[in-house]
Amino acid sequence: MATAVSTPRRASRPSGRTSLLALPALVPVLGVLVLGLGSAVLQSVGLMPLVGQPSFTTSAYSALASPAVSDGMRISLAIAATSTAVAVVLGLAAALLVHRIAPRRGFLALLAAATVPVPHLVGAIATGLLLSDSGLVSRLVGADPTTFPQLIAGPWWVGVVAEYAWKESAFVALVVLVSLSRHERELSEAAAVLGASAWERFRRVTLPLASPALVVSATLSAAYVVGSYEVSWLLGRSYPEPLPVLAYRLFTDVDLGTRPEAMAVAVLTVGVAGAIALVGTLVLRRTAAAR
Amino acid sequence: MPSPHARPRRVGLLCVLAGASVALTACAGAAVAPPAVVDPATSWSLVTSAAQGQTVNLWMYGGDDLGNAYVDKILAPAAAAQGVTIHRVPITDTADALNRVVSETTAGRAQDGSVDLVWVNGENFRTGAQASLWKCGWATSLPNARYLDTRDPLLLNDFGTPVNGCEAPWHKAQFVIAYDSAKVSSPPTSIPELLTWAQNHPGRFTYPQPPDFTGSAFVRQALYGVSGGVGSVPSTYDASTARPLEDALWSKLAGVAPSLWRGGQTYPRDLTALDKLYSDGQVWFTMTYGPATIDARVKDGAFPATTRVLSLRDGSLGNASFLAIPANAAHSAAAQVVANLALSPEQQAAKADPTTWGQYTVLDVSKVPEPLRGPLEAHAATSVVPPFSTLSAGSNPELSATWVTPLEQGWRTSVLGG
Repeated sequence: MATAVSTPRRASRPSGRTSLLALPALVPVLGVLVLGLGSAVLQSVGLMPLVGQPSFTTSAYSALASPAVSDGMRISLAIAATSTAVAVVLGLAAALLVHRIAPRRGFLALLAAATVPVPHLVGAIATGLLLSDSGLVSRLVGADPTTFPQLIAGPWWVGVVAEYAWKESAFVALVVLVSLSRHERELSEAAAVLGASAWERFRRVTLPLASPALVVSATLSAAYVVGSYEVSWLLGRSYPEPLPVLAYRLFTDVDLGTRPEAMAVAVLTVGVAGAIALVGTLVLRRTAAAR
Repeated sequence: MPSPHARPRRVGLLCVLAGASVALTACAGAAVAPPAVVDPATSWSLVTSAAQGQTVNLWMYGGDDLGNAYVDKILAPAAAAQGVTIHRVPITDTADALNRVVSETTAGRAQDGSVDLVWVNGENFRTGAQASLWKCGWATSLPNARYLDTRDPLLLNDFGTPVNGCEAPWHKAQFVIAYDSAKVSSPPTSIPELLTWAQNHPGRFTYPQPPDFTGSAFVRQALYGVSGGVGSVPSTYDASTARPLEDALWSKLAGVAPSLWRGGQTYPRDLTALDKLYSDGQVWFTMTYGPATIDARVKDGAFPATTRVLSLRDGSLGNASFLAIPANAAHSAAAQVVANLALSPEQQAAKADPTTWGQYTVLDVSKVPEPLRGPLEAHAATSVVPPFSTLSAGSNPELSATWVTPLEQGWRTSVLGG
């Protein structure tokens, strides 16, 4: 994902000195990736067993061809796609609003990004208290819990998507807001003078300027959601289990024999998140090339 | 989640420890191998002197406020009086402690593990025993072990796994199902009746999804109920004899599922979630392996005052839980001192008080000398929860831990997925 963050600065290539400066950040990242992921892979192929002798096997990966994993994959991707789409729309709208109304008033921008430091766990619990069928909303409207729409632990995963969208939209807004410099205002005004309608200005000026930031934040958000555990666990339902929930259940299973399978699911999750990052990077290249 | 990172405080302590652990291995060996290597009294005084100034990292389920308060306010001060500090490490699942021990052992921390004492039983104990993670032979030589009934089946086998002195008893527990007597007019008296009741009252009953501890216990209780009682279920799992029993259980539970809360499409993720549904009045039954929590919840107003414990004709599951010391514990001497203290009649009596924790004693009360016996026998029953003697009447022994995995997996594929 590190590649996705370093957005196009076509003019300057990193010099030896700047790479050196990045070293303190790079070492822990690589350490975690190599050691953590490495031992996960080793455990998944039976080379680091908890009991018995190490022997190479791909049985944990063949076990992935089960409905539990494919259903989990589907629900993970669906949650990530939906919540990211909603977050992009909401985040962009919020960023534009702040940019238009009060470009200089820091506190409004701060307000738009206020949810960024709230941990997902807290967000998930709050969402649960708000939207569950005997939650605050249900009580405020005086609904009968049995007929209240099943937003939490319901068939459409509304609570989970809502929580991610709410949190990630703030992140999208923050990144987009930074990317819309005063430059955008000047270009927009110039377009207006030349007779462009509001829609045309949005379509031809604002969106192209914001799109790299949108692509980056959407990629990060989707990759994060695919790998995130606690919100789906708290607000989701028993089946299907999103990949991280499935992996953690297998990891904590009393039967130590399920450990390789847990690691295989974890490696699969990393693969999915990596694929998202890759797609994001490719889209970003094209967006940058189009400018 | 808390992630404690306990390291030995001082290097000097480390040396003492290394010495102590050598002494302890000698004692542990003595308990199994030919006796008379070390006199028990001498070996115990070695343990207590090695324990001085040590801090015990006690890893235990942290979701029970009463249990936390008991350890912090009653057990810890008593341990401090014996020169041992207790550091309670709250965890959401005992498997977390096991995972920590496994990870540290794999990483080569064979002497200075950060887990000194674990509140454990059943599957987790068996898993640890399978991987030789526990220190063994010490529990039977604790001075306070003399108050235990050496033939008590609950203390000899932990869910079918022989205890062998690898863990010291701490509590006994009884599985109970509670209901709101204001809503349930004619309470069922057996598991089959309960399932029929659920079918006749759609949406008013559910149970936590296994592998939640309580949900798993309910499935085992249902296995006894559906199979026709304790005698019909072999205590150790065997695929061929278990098949017809499992098939009958799954078809019964899958049959009742559409009448459960949310049509059985989803289940409460854990006991906390079920308790929430019960206190919101969405379901009319809840269940627990710790009956005292029901009293506490009624008292603090979370549960309706009309909550009662279901009296089951065929009895309910009973078990004991234990304190175990990982083989790589950094402070195993102090851990033994705490385990011994926890077994003392005074601590057992304090813990059995429903307002303190309400965990039933593991001691054989007839072996306890007179002045200490009174408080142990005074298990004040409340209007909500009957006394332990009533609850444990006709208690069903726990199935062997070998059943747990097949039952959890079978439930997932045949009831949840089906």
